[in-house]
Amino acid sequence: MAINNDGPSSTSTAANGTASHLPPTTSTNPPPTTTSTSSQPPSFTIKAGLAQMLKGGVIMDVVNATQARIAEESGACAVMALERVPADIRAQGGVARMSDPSMILEIMSAVTIPVMAKARIGHFVECQILEAIGVDYIDESEVLTPADMLHHVEKGGFRTPFVCGCRNLGEALRRIEEGACMIRTKGEAGTGDVVEAVRHMRTVTGEINRAKGMGEEELRVYAKELNAPFHLLKQTAELGRLPVVNFAAGGVATPADAALMMQLGCDGVFVGSGIFKSGDAVKRAKAIVQAVTHFRDPKVLAEVSSGIGEAMVGLNVGKMGEGEKLAGRGW
Amino acid sequence: MPKDIIVGVLALQGAFYEHFKLLNQAAAEVVLSNNRKWNFIEVRTTQELERCDALIIPGGESTAVSLVAARSNLLEPLRDFVKVRRKPTWGTCAGLILLAEAANRTKQGGQDLIGGLDVRVNRNYFGRQTESFEAPLVLPFLTPREDGVKNEPFNGIFIRAPVVEKLLPVIQGEQLEEAASDENVIAPAKEAEGDRAKDQVLQPVEVMATLPGRTRTLKEKVAAMGLKDDVGDIVAVKQGNVFGTSFHPELTEDARIHVWWLEQVKDMLGCEDGDE
Repeated sequence: MAINNDGPSSTSTAANGTASHLPPTTSTNPPPTTTSTSSQPPSFTIKAGLAQMLKGGVIMDVVNATQARIAEESGACAVMALERVPADIRAQGGVARMSDPSMILEIMSAVTIPVMAKARIGHFVECQILEAIGVDYIDESEVLTPADMLHHVEKGGFRTPFVCGCRNLGEALRRIEEGACMIRTKGEAGTGDVVEAVRHMRTVTGEINRAKGMGEEELRVYAKELNAPFHLLKQTAELGRLPVVNFAAGGVATPADAALMMQLGCDGVFVGSGIFKSGDAVKRAKAIVQAVTHFRDPKVLAEVSSGIGEAMVGLNVGKMGEGEKLAGRGW
Repeated sequence: MPKDIIVGVLALQGAFYEHFKLLNQAAAEVVLSNNRKWNFIEVRTTQELERCDALIIPGGESTAVSLVAARSNLLEPLRDFVKVRRKPTWGTCAGLILLAEAANRTKQGGQDLIGGLDVRVNRNYFGRQTESFEAPLVLPFLTPREDGVKNEPFNGIFIRAPVVEKLLPVIQGEQLEEAASDENVIAPAKEAEGDRAKDQVLQPVEVMATLPGRTRTLKEKVAAMGLKDDVGDIVAVKQGNVFGTSFHPELTEDARIHVWWLEQVKDMLGCEDGDE
């Protein structure tokens, strides 16, 4: 039995009409044939809407146009363009920054699916650049070296929507307050070890379940405890889920990992190093896509898990020092 | 025991839960006779599709949906559902692309289509995410309000949206003229079975909604298409049993289109098994 608490009978759609208080939204429609010439950012519905279209899908990290095409042919619903996958960032060290815009543009012209790209935490100029080249989503990501140890980017004012990582409900709601239109649980990127992704998803779900049983006074106290904006916590408690789409990330390496995260209640899956650091990227990418669609069907999962080559070797998160973990970045 | 009417929502990838919410709202307004009930189910397998009387193909990434459908052995059963048995089917955004007989600006190497609508769809016509927009749409087909007040415009939500670029001749079989251009992909032919289904094939393509103000590439093609200059971009079409919208009613709280479509489903199925 799936733990996924969303379903046709008890459906609570993400974000719909529930976000009028989120900064800053437009209350009037842009002209029908609007283009990027309009100065006002699109409404929250439009920005969160693309994330809703990505649900039930797999977003794959790619470092060049060839990988992007492999991802597209495997059935990825979007790609994340970056210079080095997290496993390489870990291995090589150094400062990890936004990718070269020309490389991102090359990927954008190679595929027709949405293209996301990463900016450093707090680096709003990298975000401005990514918006200028027209990426479909910006990931303000802990995988890159943070540019600001206190502040995150004010995301609401951008035309381009943002996705951000979280380890718990408070962190998710702080990011949404800043304007994020999609959340991903952080996990521990570049390890191929799903344990942290599970921990973060379980934490978010557990905290939402606690909030669901609370009255208004209790929610006020809980908001302080979680360091979360009260109005978003209240909305989350009412919806029984995050008010935006939530994907799993950081450590998904096998079709079974992906289906595990789906059964734990996430809306879709990011796969970073897990595909292109494995023995057979093409087979594994297709298998993970099938696993996310048929996540409740063990027969399909058995079939797609068979004969897909070696998974990435991976790093055991339990043996890592706290300082080596990326998930701790973000405030 | 009267049989429920089962409406499936293709749940391979995309915004399928959103449709259930509005279907449940709409079901309260579209009452069935003989104590029959609406039953809404997720469709991921042939067996689930087989149970359905009608189907919604939701928004998502059309390439992803098409590839997953092919690998889940659902592509042919879907064509059978839409084109051979001609059951009521509605596609939103990615769903519209899949239901077109021809499409362009697809990924390298093209993509598989289901077909059913004699139109050519231009995928991502409205551009990338930064060009996604909302626009009020006048939908004359919506049921007039009982109090006589004019229907409010519908909030059309367009996300990396496609457009119906051309109405194609209504023919049986493949749109081979479309295939002559390297840019286009076409759906394979399927012969309708039964008189009622055969009738659906030759129904004209009806333009159900347009965006005011014809824009961009379509402008110069207006004359060639034999349409009036002021008709605007085509964002909703219907042909027999198949309905397609390039926008996302499922991202609104407004169930009017779902109500209208369930009425259509009820009528279409009524002539098939009204005596049950």
